Amino acid sequence: MLTLIAREFRDNLACLILTGFHSLFTIAIAIVSAYWGIPWAGLLIAVIMGIILAILFTTLGAVQMYTDRANRVSSLLATLATTRSRILAARVLAGAMVILTTLVALLITAVAIASLEDAPLALYRSTIAEVFATVVLTSFACYCVGLLLGWTAIKAFPALGMLFLMALVVLLVVIKGFVLPAIVLLVLFSVACLAHVWYRFTSISL
Amino acid sequence: MNHNPIIAEDLVKYYDGRCVLDGISLEVPRGCIYGLLGRNGSGKTTMIRILLGLEPPTRGRTLVLSEDSTRLSAKAHGRVGYVAEGHNLIQSYRVSRLIALCKGLSLHWNDDFFGRLMETFRLPIDRRVRELSAGMRAQLNLALAMAIDPELLILDDPTLGLDTVARRQFLELAIDVIQRQGRTILFSSHILGDVERIADRVGILLAGKIVVDCTLEELKDRVKKLRVIFPERVPDDLFMTEIINRQSQGREMILTVANWNPQKQAIIETFKPASCTEVPMSLEDIFIECTRPTSAPALQESEV
Repeated sequence: MLTLIAREFRDNLACLILTGFHSLFTIAIAIVSAYWGIPWAGLLIAVIMGIILAILFTTLGAVQMYTDRANRVSSLLATLATTRSRILAARVLAGAMVILTTLVALLITAVAIASLEDAPLALYRSTIAEVFATVVLTSFACYCVGLLLGWTAIKAFPALGMLFLMALVVLLVVIKGFVLPAIVLLVLFSVACLAHVWYRFTSISL
Repeated sequence: MNHNPIIAEDLVKYYDGRCVLDGISLEVPRGCIYGLLGRNGSGKTTMIRILLGLEPPTRGRTLVLSEDSTRLSAKAHGRVGYVAEGHNLIQSYRVSRLIALCKGLSLHWNDDFFGRLMETFRLPIDRRVRELSAGMRAQLNLALAMAIDPELLILDDPTLGLDTVARRQFLELAIDVIQRQGRTILFSSHILGDVERIADRVGILLAGKIVVDCTLEELKDRVKKLRVIFPERVPDDLFMTEIINRQSQGREMILTVANWNPQKQAIIETFKPASCTEVPMSLEDIFIECTRPTSAPALQESEV
């Protein structure tokens, strides 16, 4: 399993570098705007960088699946001492690790800035946890859509349908806010996407 | 319980409504070198891919090392070496990286043997796979498949693109080692001389069906090509079952018959031929006769 996860990281290095660069850039902007005390900057940065991050995670999933299909990576891997389920599990685990690392780094930055500004963090602990959980799950949902898109990239209609569905889910989160129903919805959406990817990946010819 | 390393039961595969495999039932005994023959598009690669779980069957099932191919465990995969047609390696990888990946995903890796193979083949490990010639890719694929000490080795047209010397080297190396260890090999090739040299048993696929499945000796015994010369012209009423091919010109008739037996010989003798001589047949001759479009019905009925 470790070999498979390491392969995922190495094969998608460009995506990882982009995500890392995005995180560093976001952190730098957040620190600068906090230092200069620019009003509304925090929200604006959060929205813009959030959208870029969602696109990056979708791209990561799509690239992982697309490069596999284009280079017929799994048709070689599936003849070695592993199974299709393990190959996919390693892929998803690698993606989840990238998402968590990126978002934890951003969370630490946000908490550090808030502490510097003497915000009552203890008071907002549960809110921060809910927001973080929702952001992680939204990112993971975007990543799952990317996995689906990467595997069915040739078909335009399913791809557009999936993007529309993803936009709908993100909008629902925006409308509902960072609350439990949104979390449940995101979990259901991600599980459905993963189940579909798993079914396609384990039953299709490689 | 049947412990043959490869079992196919009533295997059917359709592609876009076209039947590629039509009820194949086959067993490859342990320790056997099985040559799977067939013309282009006869379904050899599809069958091999189904065996490895790379392709789902439409109907029927296949067992590899006693496990269903569609649910092969990692352990079973680790006991099977596979050299794919066209050598399905990750083209963008460097050879060294591909080796590390295959080694990391193996249950057992024979470093000494792999090193010897790399030395023999003189493969450059710092080059990308796509920069290697077809022959080098074939050699690399074989080396990777053999390094895991496979219990079952599946070779799908492995010598495609190799020059004569490399082909001979490839075959000798593969066969000597595997045979010495009593491993099983399923070997598909268009180079029938190679198959004849190494296979114990052959199967011929024709239009999605196995029309021949027996040992090489049996096949040569059963399929006979006769040159019969009659005193006058060739009789019109010479009927016999399982005629694969028949060509007549004047007094001479060239007859290829499946399941040759004394009864069939007696039928010919009733026409009092001036001479009846057997024409020696190589595996290639038998294959060409068996896969001739006109001979297909006769063989499908009889199943040599």
